Amino acid sequence: MQEFFELACKLLAEQLEIDPADITMETTFESIDADSIDVVEMIMALEDIYDVEFPEEDLEDYPTMGLLVKALWDYLEQVKNENK
Amino acid sequence: MRIAVDAMGGDHAPSEIVAGAVQWVQHNEGSLILVGPTTQLEKELSPYDYDHARIELAEASQVIGMEESPAQALRRKKDASIVVATKLVKEGKAEAVVSCGSTGAQMAAAIFILGRLPGIERPPIATALPNSKGSQTVLIDVGANVDCRPRQLLQFGLLGSLYASSVLNKPQPRVALISNGQEEGKGNQLTLEAYALLKNHSSLNFVGNIEGRELFADQADVLVCDGFVGNIVLKTIEGMAMFVAQGISRELGKLPNFFAELDYTQYGGAPLLGIEGISIVCHGSSRREAVYHGICAAADCVEKGIIELQKESLIMLEKAISNQNNQEG
Repeated sequence: MQEFFELACKLLAEQLEIDPADITMETTFESIDADSIDVVEMIMALEDIYDVEFPEEDLEDYPTMGLLVKALWDYLEQVKNENK
Repeated sequence: MRIAVDAMGGDHAPSEIVAGAVQWVQHNEGSLILVGPTTQLEKELSPYDYDHARIELAEASQVIGMEESPAQALRRKKDASIVVATKLVKEGKAEAVVSCGSTGAQMAAAIFILGRLPGIERPPIATALPNSKGSQTVLIDVGANVDCRPRQLLQFGLLGSLYASSVLNKPQPRVALISNGQEEGKGNQLTLEAYALLKNHSSLNFVGNIEGRELFADQADVLVCDGFVGNIVLKTIEGMAMFVAQGISRELGKLPNFFAELDYTQYGGAPLLGIEGISIVCHGSSRREAVYHGICAAADCVEKGIIELQKESLIMLEKAISNQNNQEG
């Protein structure tokens, strides 16, 4: 989960041109000026890397990086378990 | 030439979109692909007399509404008319897409389906305004990005400059930033930061701030602002033109031809710049006349090859910056 979180932070930080270290689990997307296009772009980049299609959740339910990454990670784990 | 038209986007879709499309094939060469629920579109087309071989239909069962979050809606509604229409361009089945629907959804579709040109974060909409010298001035962004970062305004300045030089044939276009005063220290946080970036960019002919009353005075070739300001500026111009036109019409009983230059229905649409394809954004309130001219704008962009022109200009820009850095190094 930590590695996945760091990768997500790196992707988002690259888009926003900020330091990945400035993004924590509690960081809200609003506080770093990340709009829905930034967030969707990060999700799509993760989809490419993990070769998976995440379900289309309502981003408003995940106002922080931690909450969103946790939801994506849980889905990855679920897919992994289903494929076992 | 083949142009994809989002038949379900806009306040008066699909009837006025279909009417504008039919009008276009009746007066122009080339063909159209109308995108939407095909059964409904067939019914809309049935009263018209036109060359059936020149209007194809492409099925799309969903529509992205104005109130939906664009990026999320794009993921959720994979069969939305703007998604299907933009994919036709990506797949090479159409050379441009035209839509009167949600600008945000159209921009998101352009970003995620067509892709951006290198160095461009958010595609802006550029439109050409008439000016006091009988020439044109580029206003950018007129509504694609309501919240912008300073560096995005710099990118708008670059794209506007490329558009002015390559499409409007203006050498070394003068680029100005719309603000509430000409002095460097005037503006809000966004414009103050953007001012510094524009001023320090070696390849831009930045002439400083410009106020609202000077927009038509030919003091600049490119007027840069965020999409929030740009949209208000554009709609204010249109509303003011209509107000003055009504007054003159009452007094004189007719209107000078000049007013056609400020009539948005005669422009139809404006291109999203900085993307790997042609996507023409039209007013949500467009009726058949505006739709007709929006398709004309798309055809014009295809004929002028604006994507290739932008790419060539961006490559030249990168080379110029690289040479300059080498000399400085």
